[in-house]
Amino acid sequence: MEQLILASGACDPANDIICKPENVIELFQFEDNLFAIGPWGITRTVFLILLAMVIVVALLYFGLRKRSLNPSKFGVTIESLMGFVRDDIATGIIGPEGVKYYPWLLSLFLFVLVGNLFEVTPLINFPITSRMAIAGGLSLLTWVIFVFVGLKKNGFRYVGALVWPTTVPIALRPLVGLIEFVSTFFLRPLTLAVRLFANMVAGHLMLTLLLVSGWVFMSSVGEIGIRALIGIPWFVFGLGIYVFEIIVAVLQAYIITLLSAVYVESSIHIEH
Amino acid sequence: MEELKGAIAVMGYGLAAIGPGIGIGLVVASAISAMARQPEAAGMVRTTMFLGIAFTEALALIGFVLFFIA
Amino acid sequence: MLSMLTQAMFLFQEEVEQISHDAEEEVSGIQLLLPHPDELIAGLIAFVIVFFFVWKWAVPSLNKTLEARQAKIRGEYEAAEDAKVEAESLLGDYQEQLSGAKDEAAGIVDDARNAGEQVKADIVARAETEAEQIKERAHGEITGERERVSGELRRQVADLSLSVAEKVVGDSLDDERQRELVDRYIDDLGGVH
Repeated sequence: MEQLILASGACDPANDIICKPENVIELFQFEDNLFAIGPWGITRTVFLILLAMVIVVALLYFGLRKRSLNPSKFGVTIESLMGFVRDDIATGIIGPEGVKYYPWLLSLFLFVLVGNLFEVTPLINFPITSRMAIAGGLSLLTWVIFVFVGLKKNGFRYVGALVWPTTVPIALRPLVGLIEFVSTFFLRPLTLAVRLFANMVAGHLMLTLLLVSGWVFMSSVGEIGIRALIGIPWFVFGLGIYVFEIIVAVLQAYIITLLSAVYVESSIHIEH
Repeated sequence: MEELKGAIAVMGYGLAAIGPGIGIGLVVASAISAMARQPEAAGMVRTTMFLGIAFTEALALIGFVLFFIA
Repeated sequence: MLSMLTQAMFLFQEEVEQISHDAEEEVSGIQLLLPHPDELIAGLIAFVIVFFFVWKWAVPSLNKTLEARQAKIRGEYEAAEDAKVEAESLLGDYQEQLSGAKDEAAGIVDDARNAGEQVKADIVARAETEAEQIKERAHGEITGERERVSGELRRQVADLSLSVAEKVVGDSLDDERQRELVDRYIDDLGGVH
């Protein structure tokens, strides 16, 4: 609702053909505190982050609370989600020792999934993963984990194998090594963060602009007459994107988890 | 000046999206033909396909970031 | 001195505000890309709480549930296996009994058939014997009758011949001599025949 007002405030349906805010940051950064806990002000985004945490914990708690032998439909869904992360991502990519990383991968997957699905949840309509703080923070954590695992399992050879790849002709080694080094230590966390962030920003922008434009044009039919028809294609297009964004939200949660697992795997097995 | 900068940034992003667009198309096409040839390996191919897409997509993402920075 | 410092600080502060204000106007795109500190802290805290919940409660809980389920399924499977073995042994018993009964029935039928055949053979044999006896008796009777008739006939023929010969010869021949004569004649006749 807040965004609706924000966006439509800067909109003149009599002259524009689409509503867009002066600055896109208005759609993503909320400076006003909803309430405060002691000295900490809670903005809408921070509130949603905490809400995502509560939802993930509640999903797991209610899905697994009854240790019954015939679980309910909801319990089966949660269990199969967990089984999917364990079998297809953790042990499927990393191998048998992937079980150690399973809790981290599962919490990453669920947290990002819920954060992404906020984008298409009515009344919330804001993906917390479209904030660099979340996408970047989680990617930074992945970076710390895979670098730490690489150093712990392989010692200095982890960096050595990267900057001096013995499988490459000797003349090319410095170049390939440099590329590998930059790609592993800088591009990996960057792309991991930006992939999630950019997908969610783009999706949120599209949804907000299209649906708000459609709504503003169609609701101001009294003032602008026939021009209100402009709102219909915007709204229809927005609904199409809405369905598409549900798929994107799930897919991006899967991809960030998958890539995190792949990075950890490449830190454990450095021979290739 | 500000308008022009925005327009160039949009064009830059458009150019940055061409290569990855083609690349993702190639990745998915190969993955589909591999799955059609060996349906029993479909799970592995799908995982690898997503990885390939993720790596190819990186260039478009960097273009997207530059669009905001410019 | 103090006032100068205060003034300098004030100026500095104003300048910083001016710069940051400018920066806000200029680089709003970058602002979108940079992590917001409050959100970063909140996000990391939230993620760490989720992680500990998953690590310490969710995963062990699911594992326990799965183990319990596995144990139950194994138990049920074993019970089913036992039941199957028992059923198979029962089936074997029944089949054995059934085949025993079949053999017995076949034996009874065989006995009956043998007895019947025995009776039949007895009856046939007795009938044959009886028929033979009757036949023999009849034969004997016929033979006796024939001999008797033949003897009778011979005597009558002798008598008749005698009387005829007496009539022809008269009483010249004594009885004894005549009889001898006739018998010899008749024997000759028999020899011709």
